[in-house]
Amino acid sequence: MGDTDAPWMLGVRAPDRSRAILVVTGDGELAVAVRDAVPRGMAVVRDARSDDAAEIARACLPWPWMVVGSDVSVTPGLAAVLRERPVLTLWLGAAPDGLPGHARHFDRPAALLGAVRHACAANVGGMRLAPGSGVELSDGTLLRGATLESLVAAYPGGFALPARTFRAVSEALARHNAGWKAERDGSTRMTLVPSAGVLPP
Amino acid sequence: MRANPEVLILEDDAETLDELQGHFTRKRFHPLGARSAARALSLLEHNRYSSRPVLAIIDWDLGKAPDRSASSGDVLSRLARELRECPVIVYSQNIDAFNVRSQIQRSHPRALLHDKRDGDASLLERIDRMLDRTVGDLRIHDGTVVVHLPTLDQHHHREAIRLVVHHPDIVTFHSDTATKAVRRFGEWLQSHGSAVRLVSHGNRKYRLSVTATEGASLDLDA
Repeated sequence: MGDTDAPWMLGVRAPDRSRAILVVTGDGELAVAVRDAVPRGMAVVRDARSDDAAEIARACLPWPWMVVGSDVSVTPGLAAVLRERPVLTLWLGAAPDGLPGHARHFDRPAALLGAVRHACAANVGGMRLAPGSGVELSDGTLLRGATLESLVAAYPGGFALPARTFRAVSEALARHNAGWKAERDGSTRMTLVPSAGVLPP
Repeated sequence: MRANPEVLILEDDAETLDELQGHFTRKRFHPLGARSAARALSLLEHNRYSSRPVLAIIDWDLGKAPDRSASSGDVLSRLARELRECPVIVYSQNIDAFNVRSQIQRSHPRALLHDKRDGDASLLERIDRMLDRTVGDLRIHDGTVVVHLPTLDQHHHREAIRLVVHHPDIVTFHSDTATKAVRRFGEWLQSHGSAVRLVSHGNRKYRLSVTATEGASLDLDA
């Protein structure tokens, strides 16, 4: 039996700046499935329980790229992260209180895992998630920023958050002539949209 | 630096431990063998400031360990907290059980899993695939050098080996010395016209990329 007697020192609680998928469940089974769905090197899967999810979320620097959950409540600490940051939020089964408006809900594990794979492989006008962290532009430039990673992975969806959260992304994309900017869509979510004169893919 | 890179091996069965240590010695690695988690933790502690293993092989089930004061989970947690750049292979008879996998990944979220029921030969094959890696036009030879295949020139620093073993993952380096060595390796790749390039992710994080495009790396969160 290899289980550690010191939960406070579990490796899953160690701070890390790599792209992170926080999976919050009662038994860890969904985290095992998510790990199998994620291409190697793309993101670290952190297997959390309801009572340590907020602490593990704080160890995902600057914040978790994605939170996946099932059959657990969302503690106030985790709800605050989801409410204030552009975190892709995928939930299996009945949604608890505390999920943000942009959370996506799934009835079947296969559909949720398909959404995880799709997010990892996102390609928005040549912008793709680089392994581990950052977004690679079509010219090979690596832009390191968690907000841009979230926008690319959520496309064509977005986040119900203030526009100021995305200002630095729009400025960086304009500097690199990426042909995209962050803008509020018809559903009031901030998403990537083509800049003037650029046709969407 | 030509010192042979270390490999941490935690295996409670003496015969299997001997076999694994012999395998790594033949490949010119320096094995740090332990039959108990407490001994493995002690080896990590004593090697903390002198060197850092490039690979760890951990048996999850330690029923035959002479000392049960610590668990394999403790070793994995220590590796995850203090030696994140060290790839870890964990093997178990029960690796298919989701609760075992969950316990392992909570101890070390990046651990690679191996089924002990496939036998020792299968584990050695997997280790060899990791350590004799070819990435683009680079290949690790004898565990101690990175060879640029078109020119057969060699780069000897262990941090270069670490980057090749880790590909495509990001590696975090924890000292100025290691970071300087990594940058020198990046310059070496450029000077050899290698198809592999060094990509900086900031905060002493680097990875290798096998792409034709060459681009800048810019931090939006700075």
